[in-house]
Amino acid sequence: MFRTDEIIKASKLPPEGVAMSRHIDYIYFIPILFVTIIGTFHMHFDLLAGDWDFWIDWKDRQWWPIVTPITAITFCAALQYYNWVNYRQPFGATICILALLAGKWVTIWAAWWWWSNYPYNFVMPSTLLPSAIVLDVVLLLTRNWTITAVIGAWLFAALFYPTNWAIFAYSHTPVVIDGTLLSWADYMGFAYVRTGTPEYIRMIEVGSLRTFGGHSTMISSFFAAFASSLMYILWWQFGKFFCTSYFYLTDDRQKTTKVYDVFAYATLAHADKTKTSGGKA
Amino acid sequence: MNAKKTFKLWMLGFCGMATLAVTPVFESTPAFAHGERSQEPFLRMRTVNWYDTQWVGKSTAINDVTYLRGKFHLSEDWPRAVVKPNRTFLNIGSPSSVFLRLSSKINGTPMFVAGPMEIGRDYEYEVTLKARLPGHHHIHPMFAVKDAGPIAGPGGWMDITGNAADFRNDIKTLTGETFDSETKGTATGIMWHLFWAAVAIAWVGFFAIRPMYLIRARVLAAYGDEILLDPIDRKVGIFFLVFTVSVVTFGYLSADAQYPVTVPLQAGEAKIKPMPIKPNPMVMEVTHAEYDVPGRALRMVIHATNNGTEPLTIGEFTTAGIRFTNKAGAARLDPNYPAELVAADGLTMDYEGAIQPGQTVDVKIESKDVLWEVQRLVDILHDPDQRFAGLVMSYTNSGERMVNPVWAPVLPVFTRLGS
Repeated sequence: MFRTDEIIKASKLPPEGVAMSRHIDYIYFIPILFVTIIGTFHMHFDLLAGDWDFWIDWKDRQWWPIVTPITAITFCAALQYYNWVNYRQPFGATICILALLAGKWVTIWAAWWWWSNYPYNFVMPSTLLPSAIVLDVVLLLTRNWTITAVIGAWLFAALFYPTNWAIFAYSHTPVVIDGTLLSWADYMGFAYVRTGTPEYIRMIEVGSLRTFGGHSTMISSFFAAFASSLMYILWWQFGKFFCTSYFYLTDDRQKTTKVYDVFAYATLAHADKTKTSGGKA
Repeated sequence: MNAKKTFKLWMLGFCGMATLAVTPVFESTPAFAHGERSQEPFLRMRTVNWYDTQWVGKSTAINDVTYLRGKFHLSEDWPRAVVKPNRTFLNIGSPSSVFLRLSSKINGTPMFVAGPMEIGRDYEYEVTLKARLPGHHHIHPMFAVKDAGPIAGPGGWMDITGNAADFRNDIKTLTGETFDSETKGTATGIMWHLFWAAVAIAWVGFFAIRPMYLIRARVLAAYGDEILLDPIDRKVGIFFLVFTVSVVTFGYLSADAQYPVTVPLQAGEAKIKPMPIKPNPMVMEVTHAEYDVPGRALRMVIHATNNGTEPLTIGEFTTAGIRFTNKAGAARLDPNYPAELVAADGLTMDYEGAIQPGQTVDVKIESKDVLWEVQRLVDILHDPDQRFAGLVMSYTNSGERMVNPVWAPVLPVFTRLGS
């Protein structure tokens, strides 16, 4: 079914080396990579889009669909670079959002529900997992990061609102309290007291994205898609900057060259292929 | 590493974890306030002058309703350092949402969203609260000013009894459904999160069941990606793409069908008129004020004129929610007002009698109590603008109250009493 045997053979690792590489996969993949993403990405995301994601009465038609995907696509792009360029693994974005949500749910359970006693529905996070899966699939199918930046990142942002409408549509049901029309989300934000978060803190429904007959959501999503494309490109390059490693190789003629391939095996294979002898690193 | 050594390490780790877990039980004590005393005196004295605050119902059962009521005056001496109250919100200072706020009205107008208020005017508020979490809670009215932050009012204790699990808050929507604010939408949200997490884990897992990192990196670096790009990956990728987009579309359409009537978040502005200005025959002006540091006393000279037809007796000076009264004021004190915020004999004057109609007097008023220290108002000496503001209450013989806002610069006095 898979090309696994062929790949293992090509790696020229002895059986114990293959077994060890799987141990490294398990150690590296779950405790190190996943937890590191939780720690870094969760903080990054909460600092930039946290309130929109924490509070149900911040999930508006204008800023929520703009801020969330633009903020979230950052680490996804960098992790995609790392996973794709070094390993040809197309799950960088998905693992990133999975880690983000793992961190989110720990916070929601421990900080918001257990410690602060807010109900889950008041602090329910949005999900970007379908967006991330699509972004990864586009990279896998196109094998081209530029096209992924244009199509994948666009889909990443465009899918955000419909995905989450399934979770939050009910919160826009109208209620009348004290003769005033509110959405259910507004009522929740009013009823559940947040001492340090007065109403005016909400950054919602302000701005000029109100043309086209009030179809704010559509316009916000398109704008988010455009901005996500740009953000993807920027963060892919960040990924490249931080993931590029190299060393200097001095050959038999004492000529020193900069080599971007840090695997000695590959360097030797490269030397073998180009019929040059190895050297000292 | 042999079994004995492993066991020892496990035991050491276990003891460490147990110590960490048990320590809070012995060492931590509940925090009963919100740091209101840490706010600088000029914020508490010269912005919102709270009065008539009432914490109705000292003990409330879960699901029962109680009230927080009172009035406030926005000081004419509003500090330059604080943004003007162009966008404000009356909030509740409480340790989390121990009460659910059912309604909040200022001068009878609901305040769901923030709005502007006028300096120099008075407002009356009533917040309807539904008991949610049992405990002994310190509750403040709180006036939040955009770009300035929250300004805490006086804090009072309110108890909630019963079982938190019994709490419900059913609200009928405009479409005829009844939602419980504690649970509505939770199951649906968690279901969708779990579903997408399962799909995402399946996607990652599809690659994780095969060699992931080291082997692929070696092959990629040596031979390029021809071997690594398995044709089945593309087929599975197309499946995931179609599946994901289909489920998103289905979820969107079904939610749209389930909730056809929706409104956007309401982000308006509360338009609240201040209380009508009550005719006040008493005119007051502070001509001199000083704070006696060792004596813990604020002394002021008030130039007062009674333009009315009835004698008026000064009975109270209040600032930052702290009340200094003499006998005339103490007789009118609400017995439920927090005792820790009252200096019942803290107000003395060199002219204790009533100010007669048409009379003008200069009265030396001293508000003296350790509360200046305890409530950290003595820090006025460290403020960037050494001024005070507050309200002076005077009463007619029939009990009618006149409220006069006062304000002035304060000079510090460092000499000892009697020297």
